Amino acid sequence: MLIRLVGGDVIDPINGDTSQRDVWIKDGLLVDPPSGEGANETHDVSGCIVMAGAIDIHSHIGGGNVNTARLLLPEQHAAHLPRPANTPLSNAGWSTFQTGCLYAQMGFTTVVEPAMAPYTALHTHLELADIPIIDKAALAILGNDDFTLSLLRNGKSSAMLDDYVAWVVGSTRALGVKVINAGAAAAFKENVRSFSLDDTVPEYGVSSRKIVKSLQASVTRLGIPHPLHVHANNLGIAGSADTAAETIAATEGVPLHLAHLQFYGYGTEGKRKFSSEAARLAELVNANPDVSIDIGQVMFGQTVTISSDVMRQFSAIGNASPKKTVIMDGDGNGGGGIVPYRYKQDYYGSLQWAVGLELFLLINDPWRVYFTTDHPNGAPFTAYPELFELLMSSDARDAKSTELNATALGLTTLGSVRREYTLEEIAIMTRAAPARLLGLKDRGHLGAGAIADVAVYRKGRDIAKMFREAALVFKNGDLVVKNGKVTHYRWGKALRLNPPPDKAMIKRMKDYHEERYGLSLDWFTFPESAIQRPEPFAEVSCNS
Amino acid sequence: MSVAWIGSQPVSLMDAIRNAAKLLASSRCPVFTLDTDVHGTRSAIALAERLRGAYDHRMGEVLAREIALYSNSGGMFTTPGEARRRSGLIVLVGEIPAAHHDLLQAWAASQPDLGDRGKRTWFHIHGEAGVTKLARQLKAVALGAEDLSLSGALAVLRAELQGRQAGVSLANTAQLRKALARSRFPVFVFSGDSGDAPSLAMLQGLVADLNKTGRASSVFLPADDDAWGAALTSLWMTGFPPRTGFSNSLPSYDPVRWDVQRMIRDKEADLHVWVSARGCETPPKGGKVTVICLSCTEAPAAGAAVTIAVGKAGVDHDGVAYSSRVGTFHAIAATAPSLLPSVCSIVQQLAGALPGRKALPC
Ligand SMILES: [Zn+2]
Repeated sequence: MLIRLVGGDVIDPINGDTSQRDVWIKDGLLVDPPSGEGANETHDVSGCIVMAGAIDIHSHIGGGNVNTARLLLPEQHAAHLPRPANTPLSNAGWSTFQTGCLYAQMGFTTVVEPAMAPYTALHTHLELADIPIIDKAALAILGNDDFTLSLLRNGKSSAMLDDYVAWVVGSTRALGVKVINAGAAAAFKENVRSFSLDDTVPEYGVSSRKIVKSLQASVTRLGIPHPLHVHANNLGIAGSADTAAETIAATEGVPLHLAHLQFYGYGTEGKRKFSSEAARLAELVNANPDVSIDIGQVMFGQTVTISSDVMRQFSAIGNASPKKTVIMDGDGNGGGGIVPYRYKQDYYGSLQWAVGLELFLLINDPWRVYFTTDHPNGAPFTAYPELFELLMSSDARDAKSTELNATALGLTTLGSVRREYTLEEIAIMTRAAPARLLGLKDRGHLGAGAIADVAVYRKGRDIAKMFREAALVFKNGDLVVKNGKVTHYRWGKALRLNPPPDKAMIKRMKDYHEERYGLSLDWFTFPESAIQRPEPFAEVSCNS
Repeated sequence: MSVAWIGSQPVSLMDAIRNAAKLLASSRCPVFTLDTDVHGTRSAIALAERLRGAYDHRMGEVLAREIALYSNSGGMFTTPGEARRRSGLIVLVGEIPAAHHDLLQAWAASQPDLGDRGKRTWFHIHGEAGVTKLARQLKAVALGAEDLSLSGALAVLRAELQGRQAGVSLANTAQLRKALARSRFPVFVFSGDSGDAPSLAMLQGLVADLNKTGRASSVFLPADDDAWGAALTSLWMTGFPPRTGFSNSLPSYDPVRWDVQRMIRDKEADLHVWVSARGCETPPKGGKVTVICLSCTEAPAAGAAVTIAVGKAGVDHDGVAYSSRVGTFHAIAATAPSLLPSVCSIVQQLAGALPGRKALPC
């Protein structure tokens, strides 16, 4: 099957400047223009831009906590508008089925669930497997479990930590490792209520910094392509910019990814002691090539916050709207909190909105800043089209700013920042850079040999509309979206690493689970066949 | 041995499928009662959507109560594993279903290695139903009040722990107060069978109080693990727990409107798909509705228009089920693999035999 897209403006910064050229797809891959071979299928895409399929590196799309949020909030579905029915279950609001359809309609073809608790990996993968069309992946959470903390307390060798991390990544079928408020969930179980980078976990005497640094080093030694994904301490608190600054400084020459930096962009200035430190943080990121960040942009309206940062979520119970929450002290790295929340256009909401945009606009290198709302924590991912518009149009920002709290915006630099993202920068931030950050060499660009994940958008004045309804989307060469509607159902894969497990570590894990939980290890692991879809996983290789 | 029947007549599987598909296609309002593993549930929900029907679990009544605890107020919870490892003070709330007694006996036979470390003590709060056999076996200290409901007893306990006068008092609260002061992670164990919705909400209020200055949590042991697994599956597939129905193509959650037993009684439903691949039960007798029965049975279900024999997940074929042992899903391997089809494969064949012949998404 040979497909030809004719006449579009191809925006593919990895493979050269933007130009009008044809894009050719053969058997699911992108190919150079074939000589003498005619296309089986030709699409006229003049008046359109053509990009690789977009990649979202941090969006809570499936797993125990997301499902608990659905359980807590059957009324939340109103936030997810129904779409015309032409695909199974695609109208099931906030379901796995709708998630895949809505992402595909925007031209996204790969999405990473960033918080998979190792013991609930099967649940996470069952959900990911029911997300149609797109490819998925999950990051395994580590850093709050007794096994890791005991290794660090007892001064065990780094090789043993590596074996453990490799076993977790392999057995949970993860694409990388995330640490969430390192040590805090364990400390919270001992009734600790606040936790910073140099605080230590009771009973273990291990600091948060030590956990982060040890896991960062382990991830690097193991050749896991994605740097350690860090959800830092003190999320959402006035003054959290200091924590973020310390964490950025702690990279020490080794790559590290800092998640949803917006939620740490706060100082203690102003009458309300809640101000923007975005400019300072942006400067720190600009000056440190080892750090990459995603934003976690806030957009206004009702949402629900879903986080494994159980200490933080517990402290936010009072702000719940509506007034109901679930707080879960999970096994080791599991658990967390579900706190529904409405971002209002008041002082606090306006400041958070502005901090996110400041970070987007003041961090210079689009290769190190990632496009996220930390779905659904800052906003549902369905708000992405409006966010693209804000980044690409200073007029759009000015217009929105007039509706917001002027005092809050006065404490930010946003009004004076006139930068507008170019389409090339958007292509880097949402395609090329995420592929590189995750170690996915087969996507994020339109060069020959890449998988044919292609998004075509009709050019227009209305930027949000352009990105909300892709004109055409191809996933592995299958045409899946036409004029913003899903036209074809298919099943993507979960991308995973597969580091070989160490035999001695497997034995250790067996003993540990039998002794501590009274259960054999197979209660905590699962065979691939449990997913009940053909070839649900695709392997991504580690760096050698 | 026959595996399919039309009425009481043995037929080929293909004939049974064809006949059942005809009934499904001509139904104005099909309803599903589910009792199967995760994959059976997934396929049945997908079929319910295709047919614009409604679905409920066989344990729908108690499941609705458990779901309501979350969707009305939420709460603070921990996993069975964490309770076992961390808590030296376990308070049993009301009656705990027999299916979970082994789990709790196993805790009693072990010691927490984190948090409280060392010995575990047990309490039991009960109302007029009295001290349970399990509580006696575990030598739990009774926090009783035979003349109060469980929610009344919990309200009194909550007041007393906050230092408020409650008019009546429970036995042994002073002892509990001491134990709470000693424990770093007391855990209250309850199930949907423990009490009514107000008592479950009252329990969460009590746990919230304890967390103002110290730590405490609760372990939720579902009245039925498989029913809870079906609820979780339904949540990711449709965004809603059971009782959910599809009107137009939109799912809607409504525990009264989509109560399948009520819909049959009130003659809203005209076709009942009964899926029992665990208890191997046959549908309740009576009612005017046409029945398609998918059950692990060796005989046709009395009164069913079509009966198809299916295997049991974890016995005849591999499956995935929720287990309170781990507080999440786990894979179950077949213990006696057989050729009996899974619910999922029968449902997929049914969908394939419907007009349009479109495959289900799961
Ligand atoms: Zn997140």
